[in-house]
Amino acid sequence: MIAATPRWVMALATTFLVAVAAFMLVPLFVVVASSLSSSAFLVFPPPGLSFRWYGEILGSEAYLRAGWTSLKLAMVTVVLALALGTPAAIALSRFRFAGRATIASIFLSPLILPSLIFAIGLLIIFSRYATGPSFTGLVIGHTVITMPYVIRTVSANLADIDPNLDEAARVMGARWWQRYWLVILPQCKTGMAAGAFFAFNISFDDAVIALFMRAPSVETLPMRIYSTLEFSPDPSVAAVSSVMILMTMVLVVMLSRVFGLSKVV
Amino acid sequence: MSAGAWRANREPAILLGPGVLFLLLAFFFPAFQLLAQSFLTFGTEPVQFTFEHYAKAFVDEFYAGVALRTFRIAFTITAICLIVGFPLAVIIARAGPILRASLIVIIILPLMTSVVIRTFGWLVILGPGGVISWTLEQLGLIDNSISLMHTEAGIIIAMAQVLLPFLVLTTLGSLSQIPPSLEEASRVMGAGFFQSMFHITLPLSVPGLASGSLLVFALSISSFITPSLVGGVRLQVMAGSIYQQMTGSFDWGFGSALSVILLIVTLLLIVPYMILVSRAGGRQ
Repeated sequence: MIAATPRWVMALATTFLVAVAAFMLVPLFVVVASSLSSSAFLVFPPPGLSFRWYGEILGSEAYLRAGWTSLKLAMVTVVLALALGTPAAIALSRFRFAGRATIASIFLSPLILPSLIFAIGLLIIFSRYATGPSFTGLVIGHTVITMPYVIRTVSANLADIDPNLDEAARVMGARWWQRYWLVILPQCKTGMAAGAFFAFNISFDDAVIALFMRAPSVETLPMRIYSTLEFSPDPSVAAVSSVMILMTMVLVVMLSRVFGLSKVV
Repeated sequence: MSAGAWRANREPAILLGPGVLFLLLAFFFPAFQLLAQSFLTFGTEPVQFTFEHYAKAFVDEFYAGVALRTFRIAFTITAICLIVGFPLAVIIARAGPILRASLIVIIILPLMTSVVIRTFGWLVILGPGGVISWTLEQLGLIDNSISLMHTEAGIIIAMAQVLLPFLVLTTLGSLSQIPPSLEEASRVMGAGFFQSMFHITLPLSVPGLASGSLLVFALSISSFITPSLVGGVRLQVMAGSIYQQMTGSFDWGFGSALSVILLIVTLLLIVPYMILVSRAGGRQ
């Protein structure tokens, strides 16, 4: 069929693909390139190569603290999103009950509401009923926006697995905890792993909820990058961003290993 | 509910309970508070019911300008994403396994990178002494360095890169449902490449293209990170001025009213999107 595509169309398509790849990847590439600059300013092309900015961020207490905060936040978010999302996904894919469609759409609704709107609501709540934005507030916000991903990946995972295995265990006299621990949860493993990668990535990268829930004592990496870009960008921001790009690449590779990229999209 | 019905539904109820409770408290309650705040006076005692925030949003010419700019930018971005995204999705759908996988990585990797970092990349590219300016200078096309920072063109270029993956992925969903035999048949029957493209492939991918563009449009009117960093304070968009109201001037009543307006526009777009997606899903 491809052979029936006119040759000049193929040539045009190739040019187009190169242009699109450049358009998508150059912004990431220039960030990495700037991080290797020997200059104290962000100029292109960089006058020389150096790793000094990586040394700089490793010696910067502010970046290290922000990195630690982001890591803690992402890990707590992953645990909570899995703990709340996995049972919901099991219920939605293994049981038929009244109002199932409504409940399913309730669980997916955080994907639809712009996170900007949700972030403002969260800010209002935490200022009115608590002592203002806090780490807990960020954890709650991130759990809300990542839970739908866990539900989607675990549901997709369960759709591929024979539900009769659970039924068989029940018939053979397994207690409820034996069914969940020995049959159902092992079946959800792949979906939970993929959901965890998504949740980690979204939480670690989020700037929208983080910027609204900005507390004086809590700063994540994206918040720090945003405020540095607003005022005085220098190559150390590029170095931090490059580390984050590398982490994303690792996550994408793991995600495709565990789940297959074709299933993700 | 009878005892029997309770027994039958006990297991899903226990599984769903914590999640539903969490969403009610942490998601629906904040959304409701936002709605309430937009109708209440802010910072006065006692708090009173008012329409003043909405009145201000509709009367103040500054915000009319901001809204106009927001929609103009969102339309342009959607158009660019359609023009670039459709051929890209068609190529991905027909490519061999290796090319297909690498193109999907090219789409997914930026999508999964923090929007702050992608915008940073665009600041380096668009700014004075940046990549574009340097390239044009080397080619002898310009004498002095140019900058696309603080221009609408800059905002549009940067945001189109951020949002293109959404259009490509939704369109890919539609394309994968078209049986290849349909196109082969049209070619065998004598249709040219473009004839079969326009009469077979394009019409059949309309659900994907439509839902993808609604998604891109909705996402672009609610983004503020890229427009704020590339456009600066002078070129405000709606989401940016909401951020400003909430965290800068602390006029929460007005900020909430602007958010509710934005939300209504988004819902007007998202509901058709959901219907399109569920229809496309139903055809499988």
